Amino acid sequence: MKLKVRILLTTVLAFGAMFMSPVYLSAKERPDLVIAVDNLWETMDPVIGISTTGARVHSNVFDTLIRRNRWEDPDGNKLVPWLATSWERTTPTIWTFHLREGVKFHDGHIMDAEDVAFSISEERLWAKKPLAPRGKRYAAGIVRSEATGPLTVEIETATPDPSFAYRLVTPLGFVLPKHYYNEVGTNAFGQKPIGTGPYKIVSFDPSAELVATAFDDYWNGPAPAASLTYRIVPEFSTRYAGLAAGEFDVIVSIPADQVKSVRGTAGIKVMEKSIENYPMFAFNTLDTEETPNNPLKDVNLRKAMVTAIDRDGIAKALWGDATFVPAPFNFPEYGDYYDPDRKAVYTYDPKRSAEFLSKTNYNGEELIWHITRGFYPNYEVAAEFMVEQWREVGINVRMKIVDNFSLAYKRPFHMLNMSMSSEFSGDPYRPLWLDWGPFSSRTNAKHKTWVPSDKFLELGNKFAGAQDFSSRKSAYLGLVAEWEDITPGMYLWRNVVSYGVRDDFNWDPGNSAVTIFDSMYIK
Amino acid sequence: MTGFILSKLFRAFITLLLTVSLVFIFIRFSGDPAAAMAPPDAPQEVIDQYAEKLGLDKPLWVQYTNYLGQIFRGDFGYSVDSGRSSVSLFLDRLPATLYLGGLSLLIALTVGITLGTVAALNRGNVLDRSVMAFSVFAFAMPNFLFGLAVILIGALGFQTYLGGQGATLSWIGVLPPALTLGLASTGSYARFSRSSLLETINKPFVLAAEARGISRTRRLVFHAMPNAAIPLVTLIGLSLGGLIAGSVVTEQVFAWPGVGQLLVRSVATRDIATVQFIVLAIAATMVFANLLVDFLYLIIDPRIRAQ
Repeated sequence: MKLKVRILLTTVLAFGAMFMSPVYLSAKERPDLVIAVDNLWETMDPVIGISTTGARVHSNVFDTLIRRNRWEDPDGNKLVPWLATSWERTTPTIWTFHLREGVKFHDGHIMDAEDVAFSISEERLWAKKPLAPRGKRYAAGIVRSEATGPLTVEIETATPDPSFAYRLVTPLGFVLPKHYYNEVGTNAFGQKPIGTGPYKIVSFDPSAELVATAFDDYWNGPAPAASLTYRIVPEFSTRYAGLAAGEFDVIVSIPADQVKSVRGTAGIKVMEKSIENYPMFAFNTLDTEETPNNPLKDVNLRKAMVTAIDRDGIAKALWGDATFVPAPFNFPEYGDYYDPDRKAVYTYDPKRSAEFLSKTNYNGEELIWHITRGFYPNYEVAAEFMVEQWREVGINVRMKIVDNFSLAYKRPFHMLNMSMSSEFSGDPYRPLWLDWGPFSSRTNAKHKTWVPSDKFLELGNKFAGAQDFSSRKSAYLGLVAEWEDITPGMYLWRNVVSYGVRDDFNWDPGNSAVTIFDSMYIK
Repeated sequence: MTGFILSKLFRAFITLLLTVSLVFIFIRFSGDPAAAMAPPDAPQEVIDQYAEKLGLDKPLWVQYTNYLGQIFRGDFGYSVDSGRSSVSLFLDRLPATLYLGGLSLLIALTVGITLGTVAALNRGNVLDRSVMAFSVFAFAMPNFLFGLAVILIGALGFQTYLGGQGATLSWIGVLPPALTLGLASTGSYARFSRSSLLETINKPFVLAAEARGISRTRRLVFHAMPNAAIPLVTLIGLSLGGLIAGSVVTEQVFAWPGVGQLLVRSVATRDIATVQFIVLAIAATMVFANLLVDFLYLIIDPRIRAQ
């Protein structure tokens, strides 16, 4: 009898333990999340597919060596060890990364240093004809990536880069399986990729949807959702309808003028996140064949234009409290470089604008502003306000809205819309030096808009070479001052992305266009 | 007869060649495709790599002759980022479009012809006027507006999502877009079949049939309707031709994963090979449908055979 009771008890306990185990609980409780997106990139290679649409998926399938925790700090200023458990700067140009042990790819293969070295290798990113050409920009300055032990990787840069580790939170830091990539090739990898991330892709149809299920062997514990489905729903109203009907858990890209009505729908919350991207325009400061006698060569006209615009008023009118107008290169994501008290030198001041204008020979010549249709939310509306404000001070600007960037780059133009992302480097190196310096598209491309001054180059080299924080910060401030003195462009606001989310879904992506549905971001 | 067929085939070939050439030109004149494919702030070096990969670094005439040569060899190009052939991308999405287009055509034909017949047989009374009012409404209502209304009413009024279900092509999922897409054609078919039937039932041969004592139903089904069908064949031909192109807007609104969605996405991402192939396929469908109609006339209208 006792034996029977013991067997019975054991059975009950065994069943109880099984039903209470995390695996059972997770299988029972984990939701199947459906995210309605406006598009999917046609490859899921995390570098070839660098894009807003790609970034919504990549971090759920792949892991970077280093991460930011935007749940705790929306701007993610602190680096978090991820696939790399630690790192050190061995010499001024060599960084050593120590990798996490026992991390599995979705096919069961254990990640090692060869995978990391391959992911950041010359053949993949910075060769003359690399496998992933888009990676070149991110890999700029890397000269060597080598596995020096089973779980140790060395990366060498051409010149000392004290902020190098920050680059590995970007797509540059995603670790890909060398064995599988080489076996199937670049194109096939992009269609059926495997990574080490919390979800593994089970189907990917770039014209319809991507489905990924929880990877049970994930090194950081079970994923909080049983599956993720990214479904393409191009039309906003349809995304909204799906969210309202309970078909979707998250929708992306709510048009700015629709935020209020979505927010008013029962069971839905709206998140507006200002992200590390800054819409702006560049002044064409050059005389070209198409724009001879370009009035914008005169810095006084450029300053007159900047001081004629009430950017704070426009941003407030269009975005409410969702964003702000930054002082040039003074962005919150720069950690200690960010100074909330620093203001722009040239702010809205019509009187000052008139003074600058009086110093020029400008006679009302038409200035053409190339704007890419619908690319930056609210940009065209803001541009209409700005054109009117310029008209008030006697400056004649004509917006020319075109369908894509290649048309925007086509001269003649006097002003060119663009944006600048800053999440690359963790300090102002990228937006200030790489984006405006001698290697930038603004200086080199066919659509270039300026030639950096000798002083800018001198200060930039000083900044790039500075190793300790105080000398780097001082060089940065000097470079910003020179940039403002030349005024080759004008920043508008910190870009905003919006999400509609089911009210009871406790997810927050932080100030980012990257969406991650792992245990760091779902509570 | 052979001359008739040959002239039709020659005209079809010229149409397709013109289409291919125009698409080739327009894509290249609407901005540098390589620059459009690269990220907005990509260095010139990356843009140049895309250009080389796409063959855009060669003179325009070389690009054009290469392109024509490839087409004649059956090579319609590859999507640069995914490396997949444009034909396979198209074929992946074709079943969804044919499913949607076919069902909407079926709805339009059955409902439209039935309504048109009912209206013709009740000429001038309330039923006739109601059917005609409906057909004007159906024809005038833009697809995107009706589709959005359907979706929003479903979601906000009945907590039901009526959009597409991703890659799954369910019959419940196809009904709302098919009804939306079929609405406009239903109006056209109703009007055409009404007027054609009215014209036919007053023809002498129908009166003669009545004089011979043939029943009304038999006169309608076996005498009037086959003759009234001739103008409808043209309309059906146009509908068949527009089977792929006609659903672009509806697919976008309902998130239906068909060729229309692929086309819009390919234009946005400047996937040249895919855009070129889809436009060519749309043109070929239209040309083929027209050929089919021309040949059908030969079969159903003895007067054309006699000419």
